[in-house]
Amino acid sequence: MSAADYVHGIRQGDRNVLARAITLVESTHPEDRALARQVLSLCHPAPEETLRIAVTGAPGVGKSTLIEALGKRLVARGQRVAVLAADPTSIRTRGSILGDKTRMPGLGLAANAFVRPSPAGIVPGGVSHAAQQAIQLCEAAGYTFTFVETVGAGQSEVAARHITDVVLLLVLAHAGDELQAIKRGIVETADIITVAKADGTAASLSKTTQRQYQRSIRLFPPGPSGLRPRVLTCSAVSQDGLAQVWKAVEAFEEAIRTSGHLERNRTVQARDWVLQAATDALRDDFLQHPAVKERLRQMQEEVARGKRGPWAAAEELVRTYRCA
Amino acid sequence: MLPDFTSIPYRTARHTPRGSVRRAPWMTPEGTPIKSLYSEADLQELGHLDSLPGLPPFLGGPYATMYTGRPWTVRQYAGFSTAEESNAFYRNALAAGQRGLSVAFDLPTHRGYDSDHERVLGDVGKAGVAVDSVEDMKLLFEGIPLARQSVSMTMNGAVLPVMAFFIVAAEEQGTPLHALRGTIQNDILKEFMVRNTFIYPPGPSMRITRDVIAYCAAHMPRFNSVSVSGYHMHEAGAPADLELAYTLANGLEYVRASLEAGLNIDDFAPRISFFFGIGMHHYMEIAKLRAARCLWARLIKPFAPSNWKSLALRMHCQTSGFSLTAQHPLNNIVRTTAEALAAVFGHTQSLHTNALDEALALPSAPAARIARNTQLFLAEEADVTRAIDPWAGSYFVEALTGKLMQRAWSQLQEIEEAGGMTAAIAQGIPKMRIEAAAARKQARIDSRKDVVVGVNHFRAPGSKPPSDLMTVAHEAVLSQQLQRLNRVRATRGPIVVRQVLDGLRAAAQKPRANLLEWAVRAARARATLGEISQALEQEFGRHEGTVPLAAGAYLAESPGTSQESLALSDHFAALEGRRARILVAKLGQDGHDRGARVIATAFADMGFDVDVGPLFSTPEEVARQAVDNDVHVVGVSSLAGAHAILVPQLVEHLRTLGRPDILVILGGIVPQEDHNALLEQGIAAIFGPGTVVTEAAAQVLRLLLNEHHEPVQR
Ligand code: B12
Ligand SMILES: Nc1nc2c(ncn2[C@@H]2O[C@H](COP(=O)(O)OP(=O)(O)O)[C@@H](O)[C@H]2O)c(=O)[nH]1
Ligand SMILES: [Mg+2]
Repeated sequence: MSAADYVHGIRQGDRNVLARAITLVESTHPEDRALARQVLSLCHPAPEETLRIAVTGAPGVGKSTLIEALGKRLVARGQRVAVLAADPTSIRTRGSILGDKTRMPGLGLAANAFVRPSPAGIVPGGVSHAAQQAIQLCEAAGYTFTFVETVGAGQSEVAARHITDVVLLLVLAHAGDELQAIKRGIVETADIITVAKADGTAASLSKTTQRQYQRSIRLFPPGPSGLRPRVLTCSAVSQDGLAQVWKAVEAFEEAIRTSGHLERNRTVQARDWVLQAATDALRDDFLQHPAVKERLRQMQEEVARGKRGPWAAAEELVRTYRCA
Repeated sequence: MLPDFTSIPYRTARHTPRGSVRRAPWMTPEGTPIKSLYSEADLQELGHLDSLPGLPPFLGGPYATMYTGRPWTVRQYAGFSTAEESNAFYRNALAAGQRGLSVAFDLPTHRGYDSDHERVLGDVGKAGVAVDSVEDMKLLFEGIPLARQSVSMTMNGAVLPVMAFFIVAAEEQGTPLHALRGTIQNDILKEFMVRNTFIYPPGPSMRITRDVIAYCAAHMPRFNSVSVSGYHMHEAGAPADLELAYTLANGLEYVRASLEAGLNIDDFAPRISFFFGIGMHHYMEIAKLRAARCLWARLIKPFAPSNWKSLALRMHCQTSGFSLTAQHPLNNIVRTTAEALAAVFGHTQSLHTNALDEALALPSAPAARIARNTQLFLAEEADVTRAIDPWAGSYFVEALTGKLMQRAWSQLQEIEEAGGMTAAIAQGIPKMRIEAAAARKQARIDSRKDVVVGVNHFRAPGSKPPSDLMTVAHEAVLSQQLQRLNRVRATRGPIVVRQVLDGLRAAAQKPRANLLEWAVRAARARATLGEISQALEQEFGRHEGTVPLAAGAYLAESPGTSQESLALSDHFAALEGRRARILVAKLGQDGHDRGARVIATAFADMGFDVDVGPLFSTPEEVARQAVDNDVHVVGVSSLAGAHAILVPQLVEHLRTLGRPDILVILGGIVPQEDHNALLEQGIAAIFGPGTVVTEAAAQVLRLLLNEHHEPVQR
């Protein structure tokens, strides 16, 4: 398939082609990556009336289940929903078990939804890089809402913010003192905080946790959107609080559209991606270069035998690339 | 010169063991070290020794006389195609020396669907008998007087309509409720753990269980209202400690639920029965059955029963189907005999012995006869019934019993700490532990650490599959069921049916109403199984079994044996720009997921990206997921006999969706005579029982490498 074929298929809403295009942007193969860049260029600019929602939080906190619940409601209202799930917890040495979709049985089968779990970690540039490109593809295919599920462990939380408009952080109810130190970082990365699994015996504790978060958050200045995160409770199982979570998302969207933050933020993101995309392209070109390939093996060999230090070897490789 | 034996003190012989006797202890899958020699010293710290069969804690047996009074009941589990055919089979079996009946229902019935439901067409009558209404149930027991014949029914998800049909069938035979003898499995918790024929979410399911127990307590004093089953855990891969602990934990959960419902412990505890699986670890299995009785008595005691029967654990056992091989089926007779003997030594109350063709298909008539006779040999010829509790006092067996009790107790503790079994299931604890054990077992077999004669050691050529395998004439069965369904629907009073179903729904909203009472009314009015189940589904919802899977256990158990597939898998990834991606799928109502999940976790360990499809998918749904996830290959695991219908449909749907390039492979129970047709219909490869997973992974990778000979070109 040519880049034009891909884009035509995507724009037609052919999920078959969309599925393969996502494979393409995730591919580590240099030829694929060149083609991927073409496809992405042709998909630009993205439709404006879309919303990119990161759902983040510790493994098992209920991200997939919540996305299933919210997504099903959207689909029932006639909306088109895409879900990109990259869960690095499932990563073992090489292969992975892509388990998130099993938590989304309804969305996985809904005609107006597209759910794609991806093996995280091995993609050059990281989860967020491939996800960012996949978002472009989903939007070009006409999906208005794209959920990105990532595990909120330090780095990837920040990465999620870089590719989405709103970050929904899920936390669990905790007994009082475990909570004292809410990090400033949370306020900076999350736009909405939800105490998840607020059902059964955890329901009342969740309310306490919610109040604690609300109190702590007031101690910090608001994040880049100019808004302090709202703190809610919800249960994807009993469905309590689910409508409120979605209302909060809508309210946040409304606010950042009116304030211009959404657009500004996307512009900033796009600017940042230039350098990232360029380095990627360069790296691909470098690794693919026949002279480099040849020399790389040789250099590694020499370093292994102690004939050369790794830095000198790297210098030599770059020299080879430049001269070729 | 001969030594003077009279001058050697007899006892010293034991203190001078030969070198080989001092070998390092062997570690069982339970993590129990087995020494090579046991002595009196090993009995020192055991607290369970001074008890007699028939007295609490019943270590040696629930009855004082045990088999000297009456041998165990030969109770063979069977059922297939239509009620008429299963009825004929039962009558033959009874004539040939079988004592108890045990009904196997087909999967649509288990899952609450009538035979004409669109999701079940491939499964009707395949892996059990189809029962859609009272009329089917009446045919099933035609000529079998329910007043005299004890009947066991394996039914859990759709327990309400099936019990109701049974009750009404008996009623119409003229048998009063209180005369009915037998057992209903009614053990829903293990369905969520391993057996997978649940319908509703755990909460309402537990209520149904409880209602059945309460109904039986009130009206059916001779009927076992629940059969707490470890057997299915055993077959799913649980070692003895897990089987024991989780079964008892489930039993405890039912006891608590019944007490909460206002029953008195002595009203129902004597009617709780148990069911265990018996594998090839001979002594461990004997120990397990003895330990089970002792621990149950200990668990029930705090509820202060006044009837001693409340403390006595009575059980049924079944030999292990897992231990049987598709290669050299005759060998299976020997395995089953060894297992049956362990069950007998452990003093089971009734027993099912598997047929030699278990790993190939449902039992054929001759195979079923040999299986039955195996028990008759033991009971009638082998003189194993003459003494009570023959292993009592054995240094080894008693020590092992003690060790196993300890281990099981700590596993039980884990479940209690999680908040009881219902809570533990929600957290995925038991399934995770059992699956990890299953993956390790597979790795031990694949790496030849565990011996399976004729499969991974002592292989002999020339095993040909038996030619007379049992087959179910699917189309004939289906059309007969549909006909009878239509007749029932056409001849009943529609208004009454609507009323009883409304009544049932209303009862579902009232926690104090007994749902079985309402189901009986619906059954009398000729409401069908699907209608009764659906009415309840409207109130309770349908449960989706979505338990996440962990990787790592397979590789950890046999790191050395995966090198080739790992290397191939890296090679493929380098060419393709991503790892080989496989969707492991289950089609239709087949809930056997041990193989699928072992394959999934082991393939991930072998460097595949693995999507795990949900249970009970249609071919169309699987095709759709394969396309959306853009996998290279769909691996279907099929054990319940619907492959010939469903897998070609999957190939067709992939073609329709524009992805004929996605490979379809098939594993599980696929009779040899189906292979050619399937291969012709586009299935790329078939992997049967005994497949070495590392080799299968390598073969799949080679297939993919061939298929994508220029993998970068798209
Ligand atoms: C274990 C077992 C169970 C367990 C299942 C536990 C679980 N969660 O899986 C329990 C006890 C619950 C059970 C129940 C039933 N069972 Co059952 N069960 C078996 C048994 C003994 C072993 C299957 C097994 O797990 N083997 C171990 C695994 C690792 O092997 P495997 O699945 O064959 O997989 C290997 C290969 O086939 C291959 N493979 C398999 N899939 C794939 C996929 C890919 C991609 C690849 C590459 C390879 C591959 O590789 C694997 C590794 O070697 C078989 C008989 C037998 N010996 O096979 C009967 C058997 C499958 N059961 C049978 C029946 C009828 C039932 C019931 C329907 C009975 C009833 N009427 O109630 C119930 C209902 C279950 C349900 N919900 O569907 C019948 C099916 C008859 C038929 N096909 O015509 C069988 C054949 C027994 C018999 N002869 O009667 N069962
Ligand atoms: N009680 C309760 N359990 C939930 C809820 N949401 C998810 N779970 C359970 O939590 C576990 C992990 O959920 P999952 O969505 O996979 O979490 P993720 O890893 O964050 O995507 C599963 O067992 C879910 O059934 C909820 O709202 N209430
Ligand atoms: Mg998830």
